[in-house]
Amino acid sequence: MTVTLRINGSACRFHGDPMTPLVDVLRRERFLTGTKAVCREGFCGACTVEVDGEAVMSCLRPIGLLDGATVKSIEALAPGDTALHPLQAAFEAADVVQCGMCFPGMVMSLAPFLRENPDAGRNEIKAAMVGNICRCTGYERIVDAVMNFLDSQKMEQANG
Amino acid sequence: MVDVSSTVMDLPRRDARDKLRGRTRYTNDRARPDTLHAVLLRSTVPAGRITRLDVSAALECPGVHAIVTGADAPGLHGIGIADHPLFATDTIRYHGEPIACIAAETEAEAKAALAAIVLDVEPLNPVLTMAEALAPGAPLIHEDWRAYEVLTEGGARDGNIAWEAKSVRGDVDAAFARSDVTIVESSIAVGRQSHVPFEPRVAIGSWENGRAHIETSTQVPWTVRNVTGRVLQLPPGRVRVTVPPVGGGFGLKFDATIEPITALLARMTGRSVILENSRQEEMATCLCRENAEIRIRSAVTAEGEIVGREAVVLMDCGAYGGEQVFLTTMTSHTLGGSYRLGAVRLVSRAVYTNTPPNGAFRACNGVYNSFALERHTDEICAAIGMDPIEFRKRNVLGNGDLGPTGQVFEGDVLGPMLERMDTLRANTGTLEHAADGRLYGRATALGTWFIFVGPSAATINLNADGSATLVTSGVEIGSGTMMQSLPQIVAGQLGLHPDQIVVREADTDAAGLDAGIGGGRTTVSIGAASVGAAAEVREKLLRTAGEMLQTAPKDLVLRDGRVEISGRPGSGAAISTVVAHAQATTGPISGTGSFTAKNTPAMAGCAMGHFIDALDIPVFVVHEAEVAVDPDTGHVDVLAYRVVQDVGRALNPRAIMGQIQGGVVQGLGYALHEEVTITGDGRIAQDGFETYRVPLAQDVVPVVADLYEGAPSMGPLGTKGAGEVPILAVGSAIACAVSNAIGKPVYRLPLTPPRVLRLIHDIEPRPDYPHIAPNWTDNTLR
Repeated sequence: MTVTLRINGSACRFHGDPMTPLVDVLRRERFLTGTKAVCREGFCGACTVEVDGEAVMSCLRPIGLLDGATVKSIEALAPGDTALHPLQAAFEAADVVQCGMCFPGMVMSLAPFLRENPDAGRNEIKAAMVGNICRCTGYERIVDAVMNFLDSQKMEQANG
Repeated sequence: MVDVSSTVMDLPRRDARDKLRGRTRYTNDRARPDTLHAVLLRSTVPAGRITRLDVSAALECPGVHAIVTGADAPGLHGIGIADHPLFATDTIRYHGEPIACIAAETEAEAKAALAAIVLDVEPLNPVLTMAEALAPGAPLIHEDWRAYEVLTEGGARDGNIAWEAKSVRGDVDAAFARSDVTIVESSIAVGRQSHVPFEPRVAIGSWENGRAHIETSTQVPWTVRNVTGRVLQLPPGRVRVTVPPVGGGFGLKFDATIEPITALLARMTGRSVILENSRQEEMATCLCRENAEIRIRSAVTAEGEIVGREAVVLMDCGAYGGEQVFLTTMTSHTLGGSYRLGAVRLVSRAVYTNTPPNGAFRACNGVYNSFALERHTDEICAAIGMDPIEFRKRNVLGNGDLGPTGQVFEGDVLGPMLERMDTLRANTGTLEHAADGRLYGRATALGTWFIFVGPSAATINLNADGSATLVTSGVEIGSGTMMQSLPQIVAGQLGLHPDQIVVREADTDAAGLDAGIGGGRTTVSIGAASVGAAAEVREKLLRTAGEMLQTAPKDLVLRDGRVEISGRPGSGAAISTVVAHAQATTGPISGTGSFTAKNTPAMAGCAMGHFIDALDIPVFVVHEAEVAVDPDTGHVDVLAYRVVQDVGRALNPRAIMGQIQGGVVQGLGYALHEEVTITGDGRIAQDGFETYRVPLAQDVVPVVADLYEGAPSMGPLGTKGAGEVPILAVGSAIACAVSNAIGKPVYRLPLTPPRVLRLIHDIEPRPDYPHIAPNWTDNTLR
């Protein structure tokens, strides 16, 4: 089967088993290894990407369902030498990254959530993070950094 | 003189940006289009005899390039004793044990070819529990145990007892016979804990110029090098190990496992070969924190003096000895540590079973020995009617006190740390009101662990742009030592900014021997070697600068990238100028440094079968938990968590706080819901994220921590490792707090809601150990 879709702005044609999960197309065919295949069962969230603007676990999304879709992976969030996305910058500034393998998925699932929920509080943020497991950090500092990010977004809006 | 203020800082991590952008290439991101994919044939029985293994048909399958079996790797490896083959050959000892490995063009082709391997196995009755393994007449899991090469002398061994270590100090029988003592006995049981690093064990092997090159996700590049040499029967110098950034380790990657297989396949095929555990394989064969069974007894006076203590600890090493052989040592130092004891005797036995081998996990057996010790301590307090915190303040080890092996402890550390916990509690307040009708409990627990020292080497090359390259066998596993403390230390020694220190990732061809990244040793051991290397660099730099500036080297200082004349800021020359001058006159400036244990003495005859008789760098924690228990569901809600941690000196306080939050949360998982059970056919039942419950964001609370500085340490600048011990006392603090909340003793972890409900209703069975003899001596090999 042939599937045509856009990945990070480029047209992509996939030939093969339509049941191939998106994560394998990204990692094995496009070498977009920022998307991590950790559990392959939809529990950990490390493979989260945006499909047509929505956060999706790419291990559970067969490529055959994505004809005409637009996929954005972590590599496209702050491409090339551009500045980090403000959420990535907040994580860097708060020194929350440890082994780092959950963070691409964490960023890709939180960024759309925070876009939709700019007034989220700690509890809402934690609820939004249940689909993203982190084994290193114990989460709280990630939540701190997200709160910092939301505060600075609000300040920017108030000033601008 | 080195100015410490230029070393201590909240330096951010240089690897954060690439990790956040998804650009960091971990080992399992490094398969290229021409890399072959390897898949293991694993045993589906826990015990058996291989009667036929024929791979010839599988070799003819599409895409298959090579197949290896035990015949290709006859050597045995291990810790203390060489008992572990790379593949099961005649005997299968656990469910999931590798039997053969296929390399093919694609993973799908390799998997398809598995079915073509002819394997006949005669199943044997498995020995799945330590009670079965120790029963009279039990089948021997290693029939040839006597023939194994002993790599470390001194341990007692017998049949299914892979290793036994004991320590005896003073007359314990006399202490228990005293008429003025209360005798308290506790029996404790814990299951396994699975590490769940996000990157599984994975390696890419290549064969280059007649040598193996293994790129792998490991904490111990030198162990991988040496084990690969052993099992392939190659000189270890013909193996090169390099380590990309590691996606989490937590101790799982502190031993060699699948790596040598990739070297074998690369030699046979001439191609690079990747072997990566699937998540299911990773969890089903995880080198877990071991399950253990403990009986501990103490004789205590009415005033709370512990005049005698004895304990038996059984540690399940699974099918092969591995790290548990070494860890028998740590029973003495943890279960026998922390408190002043009149007389003490402790025995710990690593016991073989037909279950997946266990291994090292962050603070290892310290975690459950602390749980046993602290619950036992609270039972002592209940028996003699003394306040638990008061009892601890009276009895913790202080300056000049003897440890379990007769080691003399330096400095009062635990006592002041308990006071600091009182202060911390007063500052934060407590949260009884948040229990909101549920059962409220609070408890304070403490623990002793150690910094694993041992050999490290470092080289520093000073460059003409004023930067310095630090070359070590260190690995960045996520804790940040390679990104923060090491560049901070080197920069502080050389008057540079940490950004000017290039840190080379591990390559056994480039850097000297290293015991590995674990046991809280990186900042201490690699840090000390780096300080040594920096001293040589500094000496050469100052000598050259002295000639250039016509000033005695003793009157020069390194500061802000310059060699300055002491007391005259801005004088002298830029370091880059001095380096360029040296390169043109005497040659490039470099220095080397090395470090190992100082081998602190124990009392003669106290420690038997120990790998470490005394702790070079003990490290202490005091933890406090507040919990609310729902009496209807048994659910435990952690309301607040406080930590006072002995860090020696905090080089990067913010990074240490991150380690404490992460380590405590791993401990909460262990205490409350991470449960591993063994099925009737010897499998780990929880082999996925659906069944193995790691903490999620909504399970955790912010940990409030106070870093205790100034305890004695041989670490550079007085440091101790800070990443390992945050998990040490979580099981104990939670268990003691839950026990206080429900008013019942707690003997087992994890405290899942069903278990807590059973405890509340007095239907949770108490651990019963018919295989532990009442008389302590009968539990030892003579």
